[in-house]
Amino acid sequence: MKVLAMVALALALSGTTARAADPRYPNWPCTQAKVPEISLAAVWAGPALDDAETKWKNDAKITALVAKLSARKTPMDEAEKSVKDFLAASADKTTNAKLLFAGLFDTLNAQRSQVMNGLERVSHKQREAADKIREEAIQLQTLQGATPRDEAKVEALSNDLIWKTRIFEDRNKVVRFVCEVPTAIDQRLFALGRVIQQEME
Amino acid sequence: MQAEVSEVMRWSRCRDSAPPPPLAGEVRTARGQISHILRAALLGALALAAAPAHAFIAYVSNEKSNTVSVIDTDSWTVTKTIKVGQRPRGIDFTRDGKFVMVAVGDDDTIQMIDAKTQGVVDSLPSGPDPELFVQDAAGKTLYVANENDNTVTVIDLEKRARLGDIQVGVEPEGMTISPDGKTLINTSETTNMAHFIDTAQRQIVANVLVDARPRFAEFKHDSSELWVSSEIGGTVSIIDPKKHEVIGKVVFEIPGLRKEAIQPVGIGMTKDDKTAFVALGPANRIAVVDVASRKVTKYLLVGQRVWHMAFTPDEKYLLTTNGVSNDVSVIDVAAQKVIKTIQVGELPWGIAIAP
Repeated sequence: MKVLAMVALALALSGTTARAADPRYPNWPCTQAKVPEISLAAVWAGPALDDAETKWKNDAKITALVAKLSARKTPMDEAEKSVKDFLAASADKTTNAKLLFAGLFDTLNAQRSQVMNGLERVSHKQREAADKIREEAIQLQTLQGATPRDEAKVEALSNDLIWKTRIFEDRNKVVRFVCEVPTAIDQRLFALGRVIQQEME
Repeated sequence: MQAEVSEVMRWSRCRDSAPPPPLAGEVRTARGQISHILRAALLGALALAAAPAHAFIAYVSNEKSNTVSVIDTDSWTVTKTIKVGQRPRGIDFTRDGKFVMVAVGDDDTIQMIDAKTQGVVDSLPSGPDPELFVQDAAGKTLYVANENDNTVTVIDLEKRARLGDIQVGVEPEGMTISPDGKTLINTSETTNMAHFIDTAQRQIVANVLVDARPRFAEFKHDSSELWVSSEIGGTVSIIDPKKHEVIGKVVFEIPGLRKEAIQPVGIGMTKDDKTAFVALGPANRIAVVDVASRKVTKYLLVGQRVWHMAFTPDEKYLLTTNGVSNDVSVIDVAAQKVIKTIQVGELPWGIAIAP
């Protein structure tokens, strides 16, 4: 019976998202409403990027710097300093600033989409896992109530349920944690965009 | 499945290896205090020469760093960072200006900060997980929305005692009270409705359907309209509070911005009821709305994920909390321009300004 209580608790807790689901994105597991992509207008108040949106990829210096700044293992202080140093040493500051931001915008947006897609896939699979656990719990109840009781089967199914529930709970925890990643990316892009715009002035 | 999980795991590990963000608010405190002292000395010296401009004090709750940042509206700096309970969100002054009340959801209580000593001195008996609260015009009764148990707790502010609970049946989210104190409005994310509660009977008397995920409600000062923002619906519904009907909607459109990014939450209205300001969340903008025509006249770029706001008592400035960029934007109300950004703690949520 303990197994069934554990299963019930795990399923009950998984359902306690504080907010009602967004009908547009039924698999979105996070509290904040989903914004599928960052719009340029949300993070950039500088001049139009024009052809910088495609050209940044052709500039080896820019692509290298973009890769470094986009990696969240690069501390923000260091990232901001790199932006300032790079732009200070640039002959054409405005062009380089636009190229750099265009690169960051593309790269961080792509990173963010990847994480969000991953979150939705896992959340979808979690729902399927929850259904499966529910099904097996009912089977277990039936087996436990049967006469004569097949102890070997009861034990095998109990063990299976314990494992499935544990994996389910662990993944739920990971999802809650990863839900903060898209926001962290928003934050980084906005902060870097702000430094670039300040340096352009 | 394993591949996806390892993908998200990889992300969480990346995050782990990054150093923790600096506690901006706390670092600033020391500097803020110094500048506060200097400024006080300067003001003292200049007091005879010129009358200083009115300075106000703003209190900002930082949901993630479990602190309240104190901002001086004269120097526009953080002068103190007060440690409070877990997950501070709703924040307001008592009407006499002596205390700041802050709902600390994870500690299941409302803490009271003495505005003079700027330290926590007492707490109020809310229900579990209080998110926000409203008080009547006289400042005698406080209504607290408890996120987790579908109730609104009624508190006598003078006695600091619990008077009772109102069963609202649904998870309360936004809350406001009519200027005459007779009607309490409670918005619910599960029903997508604004529920009208009679404060004398403590019962729901009407329900009005609005767009998805209603977050915030605000009455016009003349009580003729109730504005309710819908975070997922992306609109503000205007309700006739007598007929309990939606009589209009404010819609938002920002060129180059995805619709999903427009998530209206906080609403602020000038005392003359002519201009409304609506915070649009991850659109990173405040919409300026002409109340009469219900049309947006301007969008102001502030910080990231703007939710709540407060006017200075002279209505010269409007301060907004930007939860993701961890700052507060200062808007010059007459000029309709952002004039300043102030870094505060992590995840700034609510804001209250001394009366």
